[in-house]
Amino acid sequence: MRVIILSWEFPPRMVGQLAGYVKELAVQLVKKDVETHVVTYHDFLTGKYEEPEGIKTYRVTNPVRTHIGVLTWVLTLNQQVERVAANIYYNAKKQVDLVDAHDWHFIHAAVTLKKALNIPFIYSVESLEEHRSHGTNSPFNMAIKSIEWLGFYEARKVIVKSKWMQDEVVRIYKVPTNKIKVVAPKSKTWMKDVLETYKSVIGGAVPK
Amino acid sequence: MTQELTVMMLTWEFPPRIIGGISPHVYHLSKSLAKNGVKVYVVTCDFPGAPQHEIVDGVEVFRIDSYKNPSPDFATWVYLMNINMQKEAAALVNRLGGEVDIFHAHDWLVANAGIGLKHVFRKPLFATIHSTEIGRRNGIHFDYERMIHETEAWLTYEAWKVICCSNYMVSHVRWAFGLPEDKLVMVPNGVNIQEYAGYKNTDLSQFRRKFASPEEKLVLFVGRLVYEKGIHVLSNALPKVLEKVNAKFVIVGNGYMKGPLSNLVKGMGLAHKFLFTGFVDDETLKNLQKCADACVVPSLFEPFGIVALEAMAAKSPVVVSDTGGLSEIVEHDVTGVKVYPENPDSLAWGITKVLLDEKYANRLKNNAYKKVLEKYDWDKISQQTKDVYEAVLNEYSKSFWA
Repeated sequence: MRVIILSWEFPPRMVGQLAGYVKELAVQLVKKDVETHVVTYHDFLTGKYEEPEGIKTYRVTNPVRTHIGVLTWVLTLNQQVERVAANIYYNAKKQVDLVDAHDWHFIHAAVTLKKALNIPFIYSVESLEEHRSHGTNSPFNMAIKSIEWLGFYEARKVIVKSKWMQDEVVRIYKVPTNKIKVVAPKSKTWMKDVLETYKSVIGGAVPK
Repeated sequence: MTQELTVMMLTWEFPPRIIGGISPHVYHLSKSLAKNGVKVYVVTCDFPGAPQHEIVDGVEVFRIDSYKNPSPDFATWVYLMNINMQKEAAALVNRLGGEVDIFHAHDWLVANAGIGLKHVFRKPLFATIHSTEIGRRNGIHFDYERMIHETEAWLTYEAWKVICCSNYMVSHVRWAFGLPEDKLVMVPNGVNIQEYAGYKNTDLSQFRRKFASPEEKLVLFVGRLVYEKGIHVLSNALPKVLEKVNAKFVIVGNGYMKGPLSNLVKGMGLAHKFLFTGFVDDETLKNLQKCADACVVPSLFEPFGIVALEAMAAKSPVVVSDTGGLSEIVEHDVTGVKVYPENPDSLAWGITKVLLDEKYANRLKNNAYKKVLEKYDWDKISQQTKDVYEAVLNEYSKSFWA
């Protein structure tokens, strides 16, 4: 199984909890013999390729240096993510099984990879704009929500970390409940649940 | 390779959506390329009443949802619209089995989509730079402008070739983004002469009377009423022209300088000689260009100057300021009159000369018409563009992406 994980934070760049979670996820996937590629953002480690603990890690930066906010910054960063992901795809003789996109930042890239190269993706939800912005509906928040909506619409499966979040995704975005899988990070069955969800998209047997 | 050359044009405007010069440019270029045996797909923004998919003069056009929610600002809307454009174009190329040889993006407005498509499909990207932020704003002053400037730089960086419509723009773009010489190609803008045909056979005197009396010479300005178009230079030239010849200045277009200018000519007591028409429909515009005794383009900044070319195709003598693309289109005393930019005396001298010397004016407009046929014909321009496409595909075929 060959998986590309997209996350805007990954150690050593830690913004919130997501970096630690994605790192642990990648470590465990490698242990299960999943070929794991992580595409992430870093400013001065740009272009650097590393394999910490067997995780194939790629760091991109934004070619547009000046921005008026996080939204324009994210929107211009996606093409770099697409570039690196496409390189992985072509170098692997067009065999990439799955993209796992964490939060809204790189949804745009995940959708393009799906439409262009038929790579299915899972949208893994850490948090939602509805909660981050406390219900504010400025054009800025609406834009981020529309990107989240696009992610839910285009994803083959959605992974959330709690039953509460599953209910919220259903409530806010009207996603069918059976499209959303609750995978609790600290539970004993965490890795098994992740792999089962991956396999439900890709098909085939779950790695031991 | 037996299959035909296939190009996907990305543009934020395509008829019937017309905001500026990119829309007619892409329309004529695509149509002429199709005539020259190139398969052209155009992916563009939607427009009320226009179908999502249609074939226009041999060109296959797809209109995408251009993001209708309120946006924080114009640039953010552009980036959001690009998400939709990119995903729809990606799905389209996938449906076609990847059979697109070249992506061609027009201005930074579609930079993201073009760059993303280049990488996911590993095909060469062309960029036509019609105008630049640093030129439009006469410098970069705010982060918002710098962001757009850097997006333009990013597009030119990612493009295999950068096309500009004049030698002036080639050197401007090279300076603005620090590009290597061999990355830039000059392919001029064109004008469709057929659209102005039938001039001799139609009697426009009734039409002309709506704008000027028969004893008045008609001086035409077409353009946005903004500072960079030099419309204030024209209003200052007005009394100087009227000292020598009875004329009516007809001003087509709109912009923020309309109010101040109309006050200015009122103050001169010459409001009856300076007629603001606002926007006019295409037919009215073409007829005005045909019956004008002089067409003036007094711009301070002008990447190309398509209105001068249109006037030349309409067989109207042109008076232009010697700047930007205008300097190249017009040869002084041969195909038109060039005057010093931002100089009302010089502009008035040029206009007066053309209005008073009919023989001279006739010579200019006949030469200008020949020049348009020879250099600015869309058929020839699309052939030049096709040659550049083929040269790049030849280089591409030797790359590891092929």
